[in-house]
Amino acid sequence: MNDENLKLKLLSLPVKYLHQFAKGRIHRHFRLGKRQLIDCLLALSPDQKKAIVAELQQRAPLSTKPEAESTIAQHHSSFYPQPSSPHPDSPGATSPSINLEDLLEGIGVPEHAPFIPDAWQRHAIEAIAHSDVIVSAPTGSGKTFVATEAIKQAIASNHTVIYTSPLKALSNTKYMEFSQQFGTDQVGILTGDRRDNAQAPLLIMTTEILRNILYDATSGDPDLRLHTLGLVILDESQYLADPERGVVWEETLILCPPDTRLLLLSASIGNPQELAEWLTSIRPSTSCHLIRHTKRSVPLRGIYLHPAGQLVPLFENRDIQQRKGFRFHPETKRLFKEYEFKSLH
Amino acid sequence: MPPAIHPIDLVDILRRHRLTPAIVFLTSRRGCDEAIDTFIHSSAGVSATHSEKIRTFFEQFAQNFPSIANHPLISVVQDYGVAAHHAGHLPSWKIAIEELMRQGLLDAVFATTTLAAGVDFPARTVVISQSSVRKSQDFMDLTVSEIQQLAGRGGRRGKDFVGFVVVTPSPYIDLHVLGKGLTGQPEPINSQFVVSYPMVLNLLNAHSLDQITGLLGKSFAQFQLNQRAAIHQDRLDEVHEQLTPYGPRECVDWVAQWKVFDLARRRKAHRRPIVNTDSPYLAACLPFLTPGRLIGLAKGPAIILRHYRSKGTGTPMLSVLYAKGTMGECQAQRVVHIYDHVYEFQPIRNIPWCPPSTLHQFKAILSQLPTRLPTVPIFEATHEPEDPLLTEIVTDEFACPTCPSHTACKKDVALVSRLQLKAQQVTKTIKALRDGLWHQFQQKADVLHKFGYLTAHLELTVEGEWARLIRINHSLLITELIRMEAFSGMAPELLAGVMASIAHDDDRPSSYMRLSPGLASMLKQVRHVGESLSAYETAPLLRSDVAALAERWIGNTELSWASLVHSTSMAEGDVYRLLARTLEFLSQIYGLKGTHPGLADTAYRAMISMRREVLAELP
Ligand SMILES: Nc1ncnc2c1ncn2[C@@H]1O[C@H](COP(=O)(O)OP(=O)(O)OP(=O)(O)O)[C@@H](O)[C@H]1O
Ligand SMILES: [Mg+2]
Repeated sequence: MNDENLKLKLLSLPVKYLHQFAKGRIHRHFRLGKRQLIDCLLALSPDQKKAIVAELQQRAPLSTKPEAESTIAQHHSSFYPQPSSPHPDSPGATSPSINLEDLLEGIGVPEHAPFIPDAWQRHAIEAIAHSDVIVSAPTGSGKTFVATEAIKQAIASNHTVIYTSPLKALSNTKYMEFSQQFGTDQVGILTGDRRDNAQAPLLIMTTEILRNILYDATSGDPDLRLHTLGLVILDESQYLADPERGVVWEETLILCPPDTRLLLLSASIGNPQELAEWLTSIRPSTSCHLIRHTKRSVPLRGIYLHPAGQLVPLFENRDIQQRKGFRFHPETKRLFKEYEFKSLH
Repeated sequence: MPPAIHPIDLVDILRRHRLTPAIVFLTSRRGCDEAIDTFIHSSAGVSATHSEKIRTFFEQFAQNFPSIANHPLISVVQDYGVAAHHAGHLPSWKIAIEELMRQGLLDAVFATTTLAAGVDFPARTVVISQSSVRKSQDFMDLTVSEIQQLAGRGGRRGKDFVGFVVVTPSPYIDLHVLGKGLTGQPEPINSQFVVSYPMVLNLLNAHSLDQITGLLGKSFAQFQLNQRAAIHQDRLDEVHEQLTPYGPRECVDWVAQWKVFDLARRRKAHRRPIVNTDSPYLAACLPFLTPGRLIGLAKGPAIILRHYRSKGTGTPMLSVLYAKGTMGECQAQRVVHIYDHVYEFQPIRNIPWCPPSTLHQFKAILSQLPTRLPTVPIFEATHEPEDPLLTEIVTDEFACPTCPSHTACKKDVALVSRLQLKAQQVTKTIKALRDGLWHQFQQKADVLHKFGYLTAHLELTVEGEWARLIRINHSLLITELIRMEAFSGMAPELLAGVMASIAHDDDRPSSYMRLSPGLASMLKQVRHVGESLSAYETAPLLRSDVAALAERWIGNTELSWASLVHSTSMAEGDVYRLLARTLEFLSQIYGLKGTHPGLADTAYRAMISMRREVLAELP
């Protein structure tokens, strides 16, 4: 079997078989996509290739012919050659068996509704009054609302609040947002070289700056009202696992005064329970309350867009949900295989 | 790699199916920029009224952020309702695009996957066309968390009934990675705790060693290590359980005794240890001189707490507890008797080598020892094992052949020594897990002591007092440079140049730029010092082009941002980040005003010159 035939044969196989061939032959093969895998397999020594051919022939006979012809434009090495001729509603643009209406049903803007906090938001706000809280909820679900309510509570009882984020950009956005909400005199921002309104009850800074403040706490900083520090909010606290900066979050949490409440906001992570157990174990004066919310507030649907313009459902289930195992829609599988075949020639 | 579909086709399809506004995630900045370029002169424009709204927005926005007033990309955004958003742009540009997106004035934003986490930047649709990202030279699959962070931007609360993730292929895409990422459980997070020099100095500044042990023990790192240690502890308990039927017999550690006897019987020489200047007698003693063993010295009985070899001569040494209750070190060859008593205890890495309770217990044991104690016979290894006479004589000295436990020992020895070995290994692992952080701390403290930031008693020296305020990467290099007075009398722009080259850790290529001779020779010196410290701290890249850039910006306050950016091939956003980071480094040096007023003043002047135009827009 020559290389060309082998390539065709490999191409027609699902990628998991290619990984089986690559096992022990290609270093870190599991990192490679199908196309890279095939390139690497073809670059193996003739002996190794012979072994692969033998393994191939042991399998059930496989069709080497890819299924459908495709209309994908050939790609050159440069970025974006020419837009393919526009095909508004051309018959080829949809696959016959697909019900596009169902897939796209319900697109639109809801009417303005009064703001009603979700149950998990209410629980988090109640819990922060008497214990540390970790909120683990998907992107865009409304963690900021929990933060602002907690800030209101703390300021009302004359406490100082520190809000930290991992990024200066985010600090700046929050500074503007909170200034609008609480009034400019209520909000201060601290950076390495600048302190704006450091006496304000709500201070925004990066986590590094807070860590430094905590290290210097013993020597005392007359600029800041740390003796009344009542609440520390760590936004995007999944940064704890950042290879370079994660240690700063740990230092901050370890050094945080025991009578200051902690509110950790994080995008979904796999082990929020473990984090909560840890905080409970190191801060014996209160237990840490975990608020875990995994359901997205706005349902999300998966679409596969073929380079030739067809839109088809990505999965067999229309809505994307966390589940064990998943199944791509058969049409997606077919079209993707077609794409892979075309793009390799 | 760009997606196989053309950007104009993509936006066209999204618009026709009311899937806008959309964020299109691409792998590279270049991909984003070129996607936008393809729109120029195309027919994919927005209506005149829409265009007018964007124009008004930019006009108002530029009042607060003058840096974007003449931004070259404004016209594309206005005409086509699409924009690029990536780390190559200025923060002000990114804020503008985010705000336009929130106001619903854009149809598509082409962004890199590095789009900052947490920026409020949602859309109806998210387009993903890749399954891997470049992470330091290597392409890595996106993690489940990363994919969910990207996909999670689809579907805006209050503005959409439903959101969409559109997957469109590009070369090298692995559909399975995306399928798993969209539906799977995000990965658990793991601690990345490391002990750094500033951490050691700052902890020692405010806490006693005991407190520090406690603080390190509170880390998430230790929490996770303890969980692993607990699993090993269970295994250890199991092994001990299996060992219980094989306790002391006629002699206490019959396994060691049997092994030596067996060796003699088989006429095998001891395998010589690697450092072998020990006399044959001493070599034969060593296997018995383990922690917990009761020995006799010239002064009287003692218990071994640890054994080690002296660093210089390699002489075997013992740390022992004497009968009078004091501790000391003695050479192994000064042991007169080896008694047949071993007391088990949990050794620890530091003085007093065992838990305080054990020490207490040992003192009690030593104070009430009987006068006559059974000793262990020592078989001296020989280099002429063929001599049958010797073997006979020696084996005669053992009680083993006639001992009542002989058969039992012979039968059990293989199993028990295997179990003992396993127990030893597991114990070692547990210890490593439990003491790992403390060990890291001590290593760093040793280095700081060596350089004179800490006394032998781990107190901060005068140098340590100020050095603890430098809490950035490459802190050791910076404090060493300060101590050698490398910066004394230096102009602000030179200091800024040096700090920029230390601060910048990105090796994205950029064009060469001319350095002043002063800065060039300074960088040479810094590089030299950095290399000499490389055993203790990774040396910075020390790129001279970024040093030159900072020098130019600070040295010439007439220079406009536009001409600075024009003079380099670095992207505007990268130049901004470089200078912002340099500012942070300078501000730490400024923090030394109490002890280094001259240097702090230079840093301050550099900071003042730096804060202008774009760099004065945001705090
Ligand atoms: N209970 C609610 N009802 C309706 N809209 C809400 C509710 N809670 C929050 N929102 C809206 O949801 C949007 C997203 O919220 P927010 O920015 O707090 O998300 P987040 O959880 O912090 O996400 P990220 O992980 O991206 O930081 C905001 O526009 C907010 O007004
Ligand atoms: Mg948020």
